[in-house]
Amino acid sequence: MIARCLIALALLTAVTLAAPRTLAGDVNLSFEHWYDGPAVEKALNDLRNAYPGLCQLQSIGQSEEGRDIWLMTITNTKTGKDTDKPGVYVDGTIHGNEIQATEVCLYLAARLLNGYDDIPMIRNLVDSCTFYIVPVVNVDSRWRFFTDASGFNIGRSPRVPYDDDNDGLADEDDYDDLDGDGEILRMRIRDPFGDWKTHPDDPRVMVRVEPPLRGEWRMLGSEGIDNDGDGQINEDTPGYLDMNRNYPFKWQPEYVQGGAGRFPTCAKVTKAITDFVASRPNICFNYAFHNSGGMILRGPGSKLAGLYSPKDIEVYDFLGQEGEKIVPGYEYLVSMDDLYTTHGDFDEFMFSNLGIYGFVGELFRSEEEQYRVPDEDEEEEEDDSWFGGTRDEEKQKFNDFVNQGTMFREWKKFNHPQFGEIEIGGWRKFTTRIPPTFLLPEMVHRNASHVMFIAGHVPSIDLDVFEVKDLGGGLHRIRARVFNNNAIPTLSAKNLSKGMTRKDILRIEGSGIEVVSGGVVDDALYDRISPVEHRPWMIFTSVPSFGKREVQWIVRGSGAAKITFESLKATNRSRTIQL
Amino acid sequence: MRQIAAILTAAAVCLTATGIPSPAGAEDFQYRSPASVEKELKTIAGQGTATLHQLTKTPGGNDLTLLQLGKKGSDLPAIMVVANMEGNCPIATEAALKLASNLVGDWQAELDSHRWYIIACGNPDGYARFFDKPAAESFVNGLAVNDDNDDAVSEDGPDDLNGDGYITKMRQAHPEGKWIAVTDHPVLLKKADEGKGEKGVWRLFDEGIDNDGDGTINEDGPGGANPGRNFPHNFEHYQSANGRWPVSEVESRAILGFAFDHPEIAMVLTFGRTNSLKSVPEATKKAEAAGGKYKVPERMAGWLGLDPETEYPIDELLEVARDATGWKELTEDQLLQWLGVGAAVNPDKKDVPYWTEISKRYNDFIKDEAELEGERLDPPGFSDGCIEEWAYYQYGVPTFSMDFWTLPKPKKEEKKEEGELSADDIEKMSNEDFIALGEEKIAEMLKKSGAPAQFTATMVIKGLEAGQMDTKTIAKYMKKSKDKEEGGGADATEEALYAFDSTTFVPWKSYNHPTLGKVEIGGPVAYRTLTPPAGQVVELVDKQLPFVQKLASLLPTVGIKDVKVERKSAGVWKVEAWIANNGFLPFPTHQGKRCQRPLPTIVTLAGSSVEFLEGKERSTLGLLDGSGGTQKLSWLLQVPDGQTVTVEARTFSAGGEKRTITLTEGGGR
Repeated sequence: MIARCLIALALLTAVTLAAPRTLAGDVNLSFEHWYDGPAVEKALNDLRNAYPGLCQLQSIGQSEEGRDIWLMTITNTKTGKDTDKPGVYVDGTIHGNEIQATEVCLYLAARLLNGYDDIPMIRNLVDSCTFYIVPVVNVDSRWRFFTDASGFNIGRSPRVPYDDDNDGLADEDDYDDLDGDGEILRMRIRDPFGDWKTHPDDPRVMVRVEPPLRGEWRMLGSEGIDNDGDGQINEDTPGYLDMNRNYPFKWQPEYVQGGAGRFPTCAKVTKAITDFVASRPNICFNYAFHNSGGMILRGPGSKLAGLYSPKDIEVYDFLGQEGEKIVPGYEYLVSMDDLYTTHGDFDEFMFSNLGIYGFVGELFRSEEEQYRVPDEDEEEEEDDSWFGGTRDEEKQKFNDFVNQGTMFREWKKFNHPQFGEIEIGGWRKFTTRIPPTFLLPEMVHRNASHVMFIAGHVPSIDLDVFEVKDLGGGLHRIRARVFNNNAIPTLSAKNLSKGMTRKDILRIEGSGIEVVSGGVVDDALYDRISPVEHRPWMIFTSVPSFGKREVQWIVRGSGAAKITFESLKATNRSRTIQL
Repeated sequence: MRQIAAILTAAAVCLTATGIPSPAGAEDFQYRSPASVEKELKTIAGQGTATLHQLTKTPGGNDLTLLQLGKKGSDLPAIMVVANMEGNCPIATEAALKLASNLVGDWQAELDSHRWYIIACGNPDGYARFFDKPAAESFVNGLAVNDDNDDAVSEDGPDDLNGDGYITKMRQAHPEGKWIAVTDHPVLLKKADEGKGEKGVWRLFDEGIDNDGDGTINEDGPGGANPGRNFPHNFEHYQSANGRWPVSEVESRAILGFAFDHPEIAMVLTFGRTNSLKSVPEATKKAEAAGGKYKVPERMAGWLGLDPETEYPIDELLEVARDATGWKELTEDQLLQWLGVGAAVNPDKKDVPYWTEISKRYNDFIKDEAELEGERLDPPGFSDGCIEEWAYYQYGVPTFSMDFWTLPKPKKEEKKEEGELSADDIEKMSNEDFIALGEEKIAEMLKKSGAPAQFTATMVIKGLEAGQMDTKTIAKYMKKSKDKEEGGGADATEEALYAFDSTTFVPWKSYNHPTLGKVEIGGPVAYRTLTPPAGQVVELVDKQLPFVQKLASLLPTVGIKDVKVERKSAGVWKVEAWIANNGFLPFPTHQGKRCQRPLPTIVTLAGSSVEFLEGKERSTLGLLDGSGGTQKLSWLLQVPDGQTVTVEARTFSAGGEKRTITLTEGGGR
């Protein structure tokens, strides 16, 4: 009886072990809600505790308000140290109000870790490369986005006191949650000379009027009072430093570009991240998530950055154009030409200062908030929202019938201490730049998939010795080849032209051999060789996108000759031959 | 041969602790190493009301120290003195130490009106190399940097092959040689001029061996970056000696951090190799970013109804843009941002008259009071990423730089003909004035200055008009070719050094180099063109330092010039206040106004039971010109007759004043 029970138990155990795990695997992260500050930290700790062999969690510095900036490093340490493998750096929410960027990072981490056992493609990525993920860059402002009265455009800056209006006081005229509902909305006041009126079909929608028509409302901006009595409202809110203008490549001061900060990397977080990425020369790609607009952006961000080489643009195009298919609707664009000029942004720093390719992912298109029959003739209508997208009227219907009215706060009367009777209302905090949560699972999955697609294209180098020829008289000619199976070259053209990092090294050594000459093989068939005059046993090179490099050595002697390929941005390889 | 031996003996005898031979008759004074500088700072700090701030530890393990002098807890404006920021100018550090000891000694009265923040050496690691043996001119900090991107770090520095204590030059007779000896002074070399039938003889290297066998000599020496070129104005990327990016170095970061934490800093003085007083930095660079006229980008021009081809004054553009946007608060710098105008690269035109007057006073002072008559070589211009330009362009305060010494100019005969334009004349001309000389005159001038034939007057005029060149570059080119001609073709600085003290050249002597074979080692000794012999330091510093006091006396001083009150009705009073700047310099500088630093004057009006009918309790003032520049503020108050109100003008860095007035007819003042 006991034996039978034991067998049954054993069977049961076996069945349990064999059962396929759910996609969310061992750590169930859910993407139908938002991860606030503490929840992000808990999720990261849960992942770390569940997969000690595959990930590490460390703080790379602290913010202005003393919060940790968390870095999750994901790689299988059994197949090598993180720094010995090509790295992909991913971060999110450098602007504290662009919260969904963090969810993409968390999802990516969870997908890589939970999928390791069951999904061969993922296992291969985690074995062969390293993911450096900083889910929250602007830790203070994202944290406060949840805890403080806020709005979808509020909290971009870190909490660095800054005197926006140059009056000798810093941060003295913040927004005010007048009606105490936990959100900063809009204010409007009745004004027979105003230039706004309500939409005849939907009084929630404000429509601008042009003379000779007269409006009935004046818009007063975001909820607040003139705290410092200077005749302006909310003109000196906490911060303002835009960390994505504070990175040091061709940084431009405040008077050229607002938000630049006092000097490059003056913010604690930009300093910490600059130091971290500079300490990891194995990083080959960076992906920084923002909202919104549905864009996959590459540099240059400004004319000052200089031109990009056609070779680099080819790499970008390959990765970006695939991205447009992986995340349908997102457009692959050039920051400076298609958006606007920026100086001192992270992406440009990574590429032009460190030679690392990268994208900015602008998550969420407001067009997704459609309320219409899909194949209805799409006549682009005039649109008053800065970010493009559907008109307010359609968005209200989407709000009413697809989101049960949760996106908009009805206009409500309020007695303002300075203006008298006004109304407060408008699109709520988790809207407009932020998708409704039911759209979130697909958004995080597709964008994380683009990151994984790129990680599948970090340099993967094969080393072959394709010729060993006895030249007689104790001399041998050895020819070796390195081939890159992937799209990202070991060194970007920018890196090569500016000499930013060490190049790859092809080296030959052996106790019984003397290297007589060495050179780069330009064409093996025609014996075209560019000789390396000095230190011929050590040839500096780089391996292009989907391309090869060939070298040759003429050596005297016999025995073992070890040929190694050493790269900062790819896994090292070696072959030993016998002469 | 005997002569050479004598020179060598003399050089050996005159070796001081600095590793530099001093001329005979030198005083006992010796340059002080970073460790002695620290000790001296502590001694000075012990003598007065002082605080020593350890700003940071350098990569080389030195302290970067700032000495604060002045009344504790006061709100007096401060003057920040940064010396030897590039680590290449020993006399600058000595000058800063002398200034500090004066301030706790004879100049103590100065501390009643200002606080002083003194950094005696901004780059202690670089400066420490001055005391190294062998002495080589290298000013980078102790950071380990792989300059040549190979597989090793700092593996190929210079080597003192002949063991004489100096890193000098090596020359090798070689088929590819481009250098020949200068006829009159064969210890000097010059580039052979094929056009004059000269044939190159020597290849020239720095003294050393190719330690790592990569085919290049001394390409990866010890150390990293020069913090003096690491400041964020006009930083030059992709030069390993400048640092990986602006503010990548701990030294520059620490100094910037201190400066921004201390808004009371009203002026920055630098002691180093540059001199902004001898001649005013001219507004001749290409980008006209301040006080000028601007073209409007096409898209924006259409929207504003303007012509994209026309240049408009900024004031007019501001008005049009304000009207078009309906945004009255639109500021000049926001508009400049929209226009895509980059960072300022020239002193603001409205600041230049002040600099010009101060320069005049400086030159008079040097001649009449310091009695340093002799002509000397021009100090070098600002380097990219230097602290001098950062302090003016981004920190916004008046900034002056003093060198204290350059080599005397060797005496030359003036060969100038009547009516002929010298390089100096041209440098002072605007592009427009130069073009106005006419093609014929320019052609003649080009011919005389030895310009290549393809360099025609038409081309120069076109280049000037297109902004591709300016009169400054033409003058520079002319000076270069003139110096070459007069110096027998040798480098002008080397020529001057030879004239100043020919014993500072190590005579060329044969040496068997491990890879190059037979070479000769010799040439000028390190640092000799950068700082005077130690024996001259005390006199040079003592004579020139008093100008610092004169500069300090020029700071803006904000006060209340007048307050008037007028009874408009029972319990209704009009108050008018005139706020004036009694100093010589404007507050802030015009560039400071653009970069919103320092913070402006704040004026408050306070009193019990005061209701503001017009005007605000707290207002900020725009720029106050120097020498009495005034701005007026007025308020209309509802307040009982006979009450008092207090008007206060405050600044962080230019003083302030408070006045209480009784609201009675004829009150005020």
